[in-house]
Amino acid sequence: MGKIIAFHSYKGGTGKTLLSINLAATYAKRGKSVCLFDLDFRAPSLHAAFATDGVGCWLNEYLNGTCDIKKVLIDLSGQHGNGGKFYTGLANPTTEAIRDMSAKDRKWEMRALGRLLSLKNSLLNDMHLDYLIFDTSPGLQYSSINAIVSADVVLVVTSLDTSDIKGTQRMTQELYDLFEKKTGILLNKVPAEMLTSESQKKNLYKKLNNIHTLPILEIIPCFCDILRAGGTQIFAEEQPDHPFTKTLEKIATKIENF
Amino acid sequence: MDVFIDIQKHNPRGNLDQSIPDVLDVMTLLSLPDHLRKTAVTLCKLGQATAEEVAEQTKRARAVESGYLNQLMLMGYVKKERKGRKAYFYVEKEEKE
Repeated sequence: MGKIIAFHSYKGGTGKTLLSINLAATYAKRGKSVCLFDLDFRAPSLHAAFATDGVGCWLNEYLNGTCDIKKVLIDLSGQHGNGGKFYTGLANPTTEAIRDMSAKDRKWEMRALGRLLSLKNSLLNDMHLDYLIFDTSPGLQYSSINAIVSADVVLVVTSLDTSDIKGTQRMTQELYDLFEKKTGILLNKVPAEMLTSESQKKNLYKKLNNIHTLPILEIIPCFCDILRAGGTQIFAEEQPDHPFTKTLEKIATKIENF
Repeated sequence: MDVFIDIQKHNPRGNLDQSIPDVLDVMTLLSLPDHLRKTAVTLCKLGQATAEEVAEQTKRARAVESGYLNQLMLMGYVKKERKGRKAYFYVEKEEKE
């Protein structure tokens, strides 16, 4: 049976979207069937990363109970499959939709949780997909906690920023631990000069293990060329020899055995 | 005693009437004590289940889960329906769309 992976973070701008797109591409390259969902309804972004011929239904409509999940799925295997199946489900980026999603009541959120949980049956069991990847909103939002509860694996993307470290520590105790999920930390955007030697890397791991109680899955350096690309390239597809792609390969393997 | 404290905590008016349900959303799940959260999350995943089916998932005894599910029912978070000799618990009936 497949797995649901949720990318989450305390702060925004940690690199969840970039990592989730590239992890999905990495699995597709391995011949897996993946579906990448945009669960950041406050600031949808996946629609900008993929060229699509229109959207049958937005993920918002599925969570509203007005549309079947199959109509939400956009098959991008032709452009991004690379041997596997690559689907995406997009959040509606219009201001009206964002406003609508932020005004939902608790009962709606409870039903949305039920609908996210049922994806396990409809997509992993019935459609035999291998991985569902959720790109979520940062912080303690209904949509992101719903995603965490529905997921099998939670990847917390964090930086070396002090407020991010403290926030992640708090969320570990007050959120991730409470739901007993397999959770790992990805430390992203680490300045390259901090990782020039193996001993430096080892020391950083040691330091992080003292700060966080969750396992550190990977330390990801900050790559200027990724910043320069501005989200227009999927490195895991287009630059197979790039160190970022190699790091994603390692993360994908670790999650397979997590 | 524990049952009473839990019920009081989550139902401050002491209203045990099953006809006034509370909402089992993620914020409520976060506020539940650990033992009840596990049961509640499992029931959310299963949709509708007997205490035995919940116990299979949580790896706890059926009688323990039965007690926890009944506690959640008293708090107004889940409902119970009898079908023959079996009691089924659920958060919300699936609506036909």
